[in-house]
Amino acid sequence: MEQQKVQRLPAEQLFQTEIDALIAAEKDPVPTGWRMSPRSVRTYICGGTVKGMTITPKYIGNERLVEIAIATLVTDRALLLIGEPGTAKSWLSEHLTAAINGDSTKVIQGTAGTTEEQIRYSWNYAMLIAQGPSPEALIKTPVYRAMETGTIARMEEISRCASEVQDALISILSEKRISIPELSVELPAKKGFSVIATANTRDKGVNEMSAALKRRFNIVVLPAPADLDSEMEIVKTRVEQLAGSLDLNATLPAEEVVEKVCTIFRELRKGETMDGSQKVKTPGGVLSTAEAISLLCGSMALAGSFGSGKVADAELAAGLQGAVVKDEKDLVAWKEYLENIMKKRGARWAGLYRACKELNS
Amino acid sequence: MKEPHFFGIRHLSPAGAWYLRKFLEEKAPSLVLVEGPSDFCGLLGDMVKPETKPPVAILAYTNQVPVRTILYPFAEYSPEYQAILWCSETKVPCRFIDLPSPVFLALGDTRQKQEGQDSYCVYEELDRQAGEDGHETFWERVMEQAGDTKGYHEGANLFGASLRKLSEDNVLERAENTLREAYMQRQIRSALEEGFDPEQIVVVTGSYHVEGLRGFNEGGAMTDEELEQLPRLNASHTLMPYSYYRLSSRSGYGAGNRAPAYYGLIWKSLCAGEIGRTAHEYLARIASYQRANGTPVSSAEVIEAVRLAGELAHMRGESLPALRDLKDAAVTCLGGGNPAAVSLAMADTEIGTAIGALPDGVSRTSIQEDFYRVLKDLRLEKYRDLTAQDLHLDLRENRSVKSEKAAFLDLHRSFFLHDLRVLGVSFGAVQKTRQDNATWAEHWILRWSPEAEIELVEAALLGDTVEQAASFRMKERVEQAGAMKEIAEVIEDAFTCGIPASAEYAIRGLQAMMVEAVSLEELSAVAARLSAVIRYGTIRQVDPKPLEPILSQLFYRACLLLPGACVCDDAGSNAMLTAMEQLNGTALAHEFLDQEAWLRALLEVAGRDDLNTRLSGFGTAILLERRQMTPERLKREVRRRLSKGTPADLGAGWFEGLAMKNRYALIARLSLWESLDEYLDSLDEEEFKRALVFLRRAFADFSSLEKDEIAENLGELWQIDGQSVSAAVNAPIPKEEEEEKEESGLGEDLDDFDFDI
Repeated sequence: MEQQKVQRLPAEQLFQTEIDALIAAEKDPVPTGWRMSPRSVRTYICGGTVKGMTITPKYIGNERLVEIAIATLVTDRALLLIGEPGTAKSWLSEHLTAAINGDSTKVIQGTAGTTEEQIRYSWNYAMLIAQGPSPEALIKTPVYRAMETGTIARMEEISRCASEVQDALISILSEKRISIPELSVELPAKKGFSVIATANTRDKGVNEMSAALKRRFNIVVLPAPADLDSEMEIVKTRVEQLAGSLDLNATLPAEEVVEKVCTIFRELRKGETMDGSQKVKTPGGVLSTAEAISLLCGSMALAGSFGSGKVADAELAAGLQGAVVKDEKDLVAWKEYLENIMKKRGARWAGLYRACKELNS
Repeated sequence: MKEPHFFGIRHLSPAGAWYLRKFLEEKAPSLVLVEGPSDFCGLLGDMVKPETKPPVAILAYTNQVPVRTILYPFAEYSPEYQAILWCSETKVPCRFIDLPSPVFLALGDTRQKQEGQDSYCVYEELDRQAGEDGHETFWERVMEQAGDTKGYHEGANLFGASLRKLSEDNVLERAENTLREAYMQRQIRSALEEGFDPEQIVVVTGSYHVEGLRGFNEGGAMTDEELEQLPRLNASHTLMPYSYYRLSSRSGYGAGNRAPAYYGLIWKSLCAGEIGRTAHEYLARIASYQRANGTPVSSAEVIEAVRLAGELAHMRGESLPALRDLKDAAVTCLGGGNPAAVSLAMADTEIGTAIGALPDGVSRTSIQEDFYRVLKDLRLEKYRDLTAQDLHLDLRENRSVKSEKAAFLDLHRSFFLHDLRVLGVSFGAVQKTRQDNATWAEHWILRWSPEAEIELVEAALLGDTVEQAASFRMKERVEQAGAMKEIAEVIEDAFTCGIPASAEYAIRGLQAMMVEAVSLEELSAVAARLSAVIRYGTIRQVDPKPLEPILSQLFYRACLLLPGACVCDDAGSNAMLTAMEQLNGTALAHEFLDQEAWLRALLEVAGRDDLNTRLSGFGTAILLERRQMTPERLKREVRRRLSKGTPADLGAGWFEGLAMKNRYALIARLSLWESLDEYLDSLDEEEFKRALVFLRRAFADFSSLEKDEIAENLGELWQIDGQSVSAAVNAPIPKEEEEEKEESGLGEDLDDFDFDI
């Protein structure tokens, strides 16, 4: 079992059978450089059946947004996915490239330290000094390779890069070619080349994107899950997948546990109770769906290693405390929430309330 | 048996209009029958006059209450309208064949009584079955983008058949449709009996009815007796200009039009022979709207948006983008993914501001006739113009003219314009006059618009003349009023409109409501409004006498409620201060009010210790102003209120209330300052701090001149030079003291006045 040794496999390997089935059953025209038709990509992302085989939905939410994203890539425009943390931006970008190119690994992970060379190309300096500029001494970046092969490059967290680094993308996206003056050559992008970038709207320390760069992207804003049911669905699916690859010796959390976590997160995020009858103080941290997922996985790890192997209120309470309370102010908000809302929810919530209360006494 | 050609359409469908015209050209019929109430036939001639600019609508309304209406809107791209137009161009007779509108109105009335069920639930069902985002998009793809007459025909048949199938369960709706179809069959038969060749007849109906009409030969047609038995309401109808905005928001058609201007674009593209142009024009218009409103949009972005919209349609297997695709493309490419950024542009492009027009003199309702007659009468005709014009009115009698009519011309103009204002006809807007309390001057800005014409026609339901309608509207408002304030507004309106009858009706309503009223604030506010009407009513030549009894009642009730209402905290006392001021103003303005009761109430407020002290103080101030309190009494009161036993904040609060009125009288009373001085001396440190907060508030809005005078008083008391005291109290506080104050926690806003004793 070679697969099991890696912490997380790329999407195209995890879902290889699905991708193969879709390619085999292809009926519609396939754009240049793509492995399947836009419609099949949609089926891959949003789920469906093909020749009797069930394709699991990868993105749960507004399917129309997925359609817009795919159509953008067909028109060889670059795609920018914007959203709060945990709205599945990177997830969607990975699966789009996995389905379209069968390769989701041409990634640049944007940080404050990303340089222009990491976007365009850089040199193997030992070779550069020894032999002078030569094609062999050139180190190709993911964007470079994508242009060469006519595939899609991914740029994660583009808004974390300094703006001059972001600007390096402008000419690439408008000219669709990179010039390498040292070698006096120019690399034109092959048909099918595009870029999917993701950007975060909520976190601090984010650089504003220039209007010039934004104009080169079609922008799709991914919303936070619209209702409790779809958020629960997302959390359940992801926890299931993660638990499988992490070997947590615990059973999957019960429906009720997922519901409780999602309810608490949604209420604190929105600042009011689900029925809208009471105001709730919002803690400072971002209570994203992604955090709900990692909370549940963490609770499973706790239960597997030290508990009964089943996620109980005690494990959940520890996870919740960690996720919600990031500083002193959050603690006040959390205690208020416990006393004013959770305590009054009746028997179903009593166990969790007591466990949370214990941590704070 | 040969049958006429049935052409099923979707109402307000550009493609339907286009292919119907082609169909008519091809078949060249000698008679065209159109779905629409048969009593509207008389309006056909007006509809096709060259000056008539759609959108227009036919409005049928009952002549008695409760008023029921039905509305038949026509846009330029309505298939029915194009059919009528074609007939007039080719001189082919044309008829409406549906049930007459009086029957329709009666049926609607029965239906409303029998069920609350929304008759358009069938469209919700369609939404569910159509997939994507509902039936609108589905039908746009199936019908509006049909490639030829045959395609449209098939699409329409599918539409009609599915509608029919889905509404099978709705018994009432089915019954109504059976009636309508029976009547339409009867009309077709009578056309055949007149000798028209069936193949020379084209019947244009909603696609739903096509199947139902095919059976016209099988004895389903309505007989004379059946026709007799149908219920009818006494009704009238009129042609009126309409707007795209109204078409979109309340078309009254389930198969309505959420984007009339966009459909207009489709019609334009069809006429130009290139249906694909719609998408380009839609997106280009959004871009130019954005540019005009300060958001730069490049042509490159518009091109990208067109491509994206096309690609979105391709993913569905369609060749042309539907509105939904265009909207999503506009949001993604022109709005940066944020719908709010382009929503105004989209609304402008989809709904638009187009307004229909009718030639002068066409089918006016009686209220329109009255409007134009009065307009001429009052010599206001030149203001019926699209540009705004000013009109200054002097409501006083003009003594230099002979006739009474001329003498009060401006007053009658004012009545008329206020009538229109009450009716919600946006012809004139009254402006605030610069001169304070200028009761005889009014400044209006008048501007006529087709929208106003529409509003006027709608007011036709309320009465035959402008005045009658206004009076009816006021009556309605009284009936629906939930608070006395609303009725007081009606009374005001009745006076400004010069309709005493409405005022009387409103007074009765007010009286009934007043009995239950317990809120002093509301009572006093209403009393103040009525008082103003009584004071200034005479200038409008309306006798305000009928208002006096009701004001007396209101006022007396307020007096009784006052002491009880003065039990409140400081936050609540602000509203009460206003109320007391209003009541006092009202009392002073009208001799006929029960002054005794008012003074009694004030004395109680001033004398009781268990009320809000600020209000007690204010009550004392009013009494003082009205010379109802002797200096001795005041002195006693001051000593009592400011004695050692009273908590400092209460004492100071009382003084604050007292200082809110007639300050000069206060300042002049040396004894008052003596008492205050003694009082402050008697306080210990902690009490002084508390009292200081209230006293500071009390003196906050004294002018520096007033402060000077107080200083002089104090100087006299302390046997020192008044000027040096004045300098001390008006001077900024020295640094060290400031710091000291800050430490004691009181410093924040204590820097412009201070009794440093």
